[in-house]
Amino acid sequence: MLAAAGVAVTPTELARTAVAAAALAERLGCPAALKIVSPDIVHKSDAGGVRLGLASPAAVAAAFDEVMRAVRARQPTAHLEGVSVQPMAPPGGVEVIVGVSVDAQFGHVIMCGLGGVLVEVLRDVAFRLIPLQPRDAREMLTELHGLPLLRGVRGRPGVDLRAVEELLLRVSQLIAQRPDIRELDLNPVLAYPDRVLTVDARALVTVER
Amino acid sequence: MSFSRARFDRAFHPRVIAVVGDKQMNGFLWLRALQRFSGKLYSVQIDPNEIPAIEAMGVANVRSLLDIPEAVDYVVVAVPRNVAPRVLADCVRKEVGAVTLFTAGFSETGDPEGIRLEAEIATLAREANLLLIGPNCMGIANLRIGMCNFPNQPVGDTAAGRVGFIGQSGTHTITFCMRGPAEGVGVSKAVSCGNSVVADASDYLEYLRDDADTAVIAAYIEGVRNGRRFFDVLCQTTAIKPVILWKGGVSEAGQRAIFSHTAALATPVAVWRGMVRQAGAIAVESQDELLDVARTLLAGTVATGSRAGLIAMTGGPSVVMTDAFTQAGLDVPLLTDASYAKLREFFQVVGGSLRNPLDAGSTIAMGFRSDNLERLLQILLSDSCIDVIAMDLGAALSIDRYLEHPALAAAVVDILAAFAQHTSKPFGVIVDAPHRPVDAARLRDDLLRRGVLTFPSPQRAARALRQSIEYWRMRRGAEAQSSL
Repeated sequence: MLAAAGVAVTPTELARTAVAAAALAERLGCPAALKIVSPDIVHKSDAGGVRLGLASPAAVAAAFDEVMRAVRARQPTAHLEGVSVQPMAPPGGVEVIVGVSVDAQFGHVIMCGLGGVLVEVLRDVAFRLIPLQPRDAREMLTELHGLPLLRGVRGRPGVDLRAVEELLLRVSQLIAQRPDIRELDLNPVLAYPDRVLTVDARALVTVER
Repeated sequence: MSFSRARFDRAFHPRVIAVVGDKQMNGFLWLRALQRFSGKLYSVQIDPNEIPAIEAMGVANVRSLLDIPEAVDYVVVAVPRNVAPRVLADCVRKEVGAVTLFTAGFSETGDPEGIRLEAEIATLAREANLLLIGPNCMGIANLRIGMCNFPNQPVGDTAAGRVGFIGQSGTHTITFCMRGPAEGVGVSKAVSCGNSVVADASDYLEYLRDDADTAVIAAYIEGVRNGRRFFDVLCQTTAIKPVILWKGGVSEAGQRAIFSHTAALATPVAVWRGMVRQAGAIAVESQDELLDVARTLLAGTVATGSRAGLIAMTGGPSVVMTDAFTQAGLDVPLLTDASYAKLREFFQVVGGSLRNPLDAGSTIAMGFRSDNLERLLQILLSDSCIDVIAMDLGAALSIDRYLEHPALAAAVVDILAAFAQHTSKPFGVIVDAPHRPVDAARLRDDLLRRGVLTFPSPQRAARALRQSIEYWRMRRGAEAQSSL
């Protein structure tokens, strides 16, 4: 859905066995990341369902068994479909989050903020109503107190701000076309000097009865 | 629910007003408030204990709205809540223009009877297409025609002006109408809209958007029902005239207080702020700031940038003023070489400093060299590096001398007034004398009356100027985009 909307996402494929996971890692490239896939689990890392930076297909195969065991131990009743395998995103990206929710008075709103552990504490986020105009996307970024982190600090190059703005506009467009999406979280989005890459996403969609 | 412009026009420009149920216990609030109304006023009261006092005020009393022998444009209903539906039914039968339901005790109480009654009056009004304001509110003020919502409110041409106000609080609406005119912000029209069960903030905003008497709109808002409609009307309005929004309930405890006040549902503050910015409106945090920004926008000079040229009379205030302007997001750059060349011809560097801020106490000599003040202002006006001009009058030290030598003060006021008349750049004057607040306020009043934009502190000046700059920047951006 995101890729179709023009959002660059890390390739993600489902593996139901350790052997399949190792084969996927071989094909997509290492280091790789594994994440549990289950309709019953929202917070994957809290459930022990995430392993990052796996150096080889063999490490991926071993991690598959560990993840399945760990999640089963914590949530025995959860239905587990397998794990998703992704190549690790290149290092050096700045973590950004993009979210969509529905406000009782104003309808769909989009949020953008700096990601990582600090976001919970600093709540450095900017909101706008959907649909966004290009000016809105630009102003959202300038509202962030952490904007210097995106512009580059201490010799670290700045990220592609236009690409972040473009991402916000594409998400806004997606929601305008798919108002049945009640919530959408792109977290994290990694911003690099030349592009942005969405590493993980979660959507909540209303089902018509 | 939407009403025609003509409906609102009739409500805001009534010829006949009726007050239903005003009484001694209320201090005859409404009848006293409306004593200076230039049209015709009726009281509707059946209690024989109340009628003599009403008639003693010179107000004609009738026993029913239907007994009034002419058409009624506007009705204030102040009866107990359980009687309200019956009185509203009379309003419908009488085909009145609009009704303010002052009566409280509806959904804001949270009790089942209040909620039921509110639903009942809402249905009644909607089915009859009755323009109902409130309940739980102070209704409309049009000060020019002596129509106000509190006794002793200033009315008439001196109180009337070009700022329209929408308030989800009677108190804030009334204090705006009282303070505004005294602080250079005359009122075109004001409405306290309470629980807004029929007409809501978006309807009033739409009306003021198209109102030729209103150049600037200010509002105190706690929450809106149909957010999308409010946003759309807000966007349309800011493209034509500035809208200043003061949001109440920006803390968690404040949001709880909102519910028991107007029963509005709280929007997360961050969403509200984003919406305001997106719509190109101006968010303020207090009534002080609301009036500062309104006054600044009314001054009529359009800021083209955020580079400030500052004049102060002594060192410390010049530093603090510079901090205030910088912290508010303005720049305080160096002037052009040409300006410095002109300054060197007369500027007293001993006991002063001629960078930016210009610490010009010795140059102006507390008003003894007011000709130099004029030269300083002209240099900043013609300097191509400066978009905004602000001056701290140094009243903390000079007010005593101004009091002793009124001619000195008058000369300074004359120069500032003449400059304010012809400057193309926004120009603000700070008059602050903490030890003589009354005299400082009087000096500010003198300046305001002469058309000089004044502020009581450099922080308030800086914020208000910054807010107006942002508004005009948004307007230019939007216009540039639409002309592509």
